[in-house]
Amino acid sequence: MTTEEIRAPASHAAAAGPAVPQDRQATLGQRIYRYRFVYLMLVPTFALLLTFNYYPAFMGLYRAFFKWDIGLPPEFLGLGNFEKLFIRDDTFLKSLRHVSLLTSWRVISAVTFPFIVAELIFNLRSNVHKYTYRVLTILPAVVPGIVILLLWQFIYDGTHGLLNAFLEGVGLEDWQQPWLGSPKTALYAVTFMGFPWVGGVTVLIYLAGLQGISDEVIDSSLVDGCSGLRRIFSIDIPLILGQFKLIIVLAVIGGLQGWVAVFVMTAGGPGTASMVPGLWMYNNAFLWNKMGYASAIGMFLFVLIMGLTIINVKFVKTGDY
Amino acid sequence: MTVLEGQPQPVQRMSLGAGWRRAWRTGDWWRHLGLGAFLFFMFLPFVITIIISFKDIPQFDHFPFTVTFPLHPDNYLEAWRIVSRYILNSIITSGASVVGMVILAAIAAWAFARYPFPGREIFFFGVLALLMVPGELTLIPAFLLVKDLGLLNTRWVLIAPYIAGGQVFAIFILRQFFEALPGEMFEAARIDGANELQVFRHIGIPLSQSIIGVVAIMHVLSTWNDVIWPLVTLRSNELMTLTIGLYAFRTAWYTIWGPLMAGYVIASIPLIILFAFTSRLFVEGLSSGAIKM
Repeated sequence: MTTEEIRAPASHAAAAGPAVPQDRQATLGQRIYRYRFVYLMLVPTFALLLTFNYYPAFMGLYRAFFKWDIGLPPEFLGLGNFEKLFIRDDTFLKSLRHVSLLTSWRVISAVTFPFIVAELIFNLRSNVHKYTYRVLTILPAVVPGIVILLLWQFIYDGTHGLLNAFLEGVGLEDWQQPWLGSPKTALYAVTFMGFPWVGGVTVLIYLAGLQGISDEVIDSSLVDGCSGLRRIFSIDIPLILGQFKLIIVLAVIGGLQGWVAVFVMTAGGPGTASMVPGLWMYNNAFLWNKMGYASAIGMFLFVLIMGLTIINVKFVKTGDY
Repeated sequence: MTVLEGQPQPVQRMSLGAGWRRAWRTGDWWRHLGLGAFLFFMFLPFVITIIISFKDIPQFDHFPFTVTFPLHPDNYLEAWRIVSRYILNSIITSGASVVGMVILAAIAAWAFARYPFPGREIFFFGVLALLMVPGELTLIPAFLLVKDLGLLNTRWVLIAPYIAGGQVFAIFILRQFFEALPGEMFEAARIDGANELQVFRHIGIPLSQSIIGVVAIMHVLSTWNDVIWPLVTLRSNELMTLTIGLYAFRTAWYTIWGPLMAGYVIASIPLIILFAFTSRLFVEGLSSGAIKM
């Protein structure tokens, strides 16, 4: 009884701020009217989202079914663009193989090297050292991406590059190449760029996961004589599967969307030796004005990215706790 | 292990733990070695960049990767003359868009977090769904849109879409944070006669400074590093942002490595300064991708 009496005014007060009185009898219209200032708060946000995000997104899906060259009226093609894409466009099919290689390596490297670094940092005794290494690994992530790409272009340079100079230094002159200029090596050079493949952000995500493992689990594993590699494989990795899942999703999306790196390093060349779908879309749209065909590639990428993300989130089981 | 000597013998269980801990501690040297090796290779390109940035052409031709004297700091003057305009443009673009984005996102997130208005979840889903839309899908229609709007080759062509797109993730993060704020405080303020705007301005925002800092820094990082959008929408050299400016600089100054590398160093400095002052927000922001799952 008394609790009722005490709670009643309190709950009334909580629900009934000056602007948010709640009575279930109010009709939808009345409730909308009551919150009119809230809708007003959302107007600028949605005005911008509708203009610059929703309209282009739907337009992109719609125009993927058109022949749409700049300056000419759009012409409905049905599935014509997709038919051409998957049956007659050899460059596009080649670019799919390339992007699979790029993305596979991104995933492989993202679940190995940064995890090793995270484990090394996590197991350090001194917190000062831990902090220092964390800051040092994150520091390269602050350097603008374009600078890193241009630096790797320099590393691969045929005449002045660091890689060729290194090969000469260790007596492997035969291996010297114009790495980005040769059709044999261009794709691999772009794929394996970024040695030693330790992304500071990825390390931080793994570290956050490792720090979330409770001390009791680690202590009892130590008491049971489980340490070192054994602990990493039977405790750490299973307990931070959620982080691995996130990293894999990010690596897949990053790989499929990572065509800017290819654009800057080789522009897809020489010829189409390192072409990827995103760049093929860019070329079709901005070099040859084939906006409809390019939109079809964009739609394909959208469906692919969304499908892979859903598969990963849904079917890769993790021990969430 | 020296710490334990001369101390009273600990009980058996304790000494077991201490033994393991000692093992960890004595194992640390190879961890430092491993981390050192990784860091060496991570920083090597940057160190060599700085070394080359002080060379003139003959020095580079003869000893490309070692320090040579005399140093040529004038490379930096030369690079600064070209790069400074791009840096200024990037500061204007990222600065203006981060201010606009934070204001709009904070207001919208506040609305979503604190008022149970009809249609709240539908509208919120309308924002969230955009997280799934990749830039590849929108690039071409967005380009044609800004072309029709007559925005091509202006500052607004970057700022307005950056504000629009940046809001999405920021609203998502800020709503979670605003919802977790204790409601009693706002009640107390209302009872003291504060209106809704005052509650938001004087209580909500100050309590959320650090998370707002995180989303702001993430936005600055992503707009600062954007390549494709400025590349397709900007033509005039006066408006180019750092990314495409550097790209053009590289093309024009190819093989004149000294000033080119000096330009790369200068281009990296603004974000490093920002990092130096806000490293904690940076670390939180960069790893807040983890919030997503």
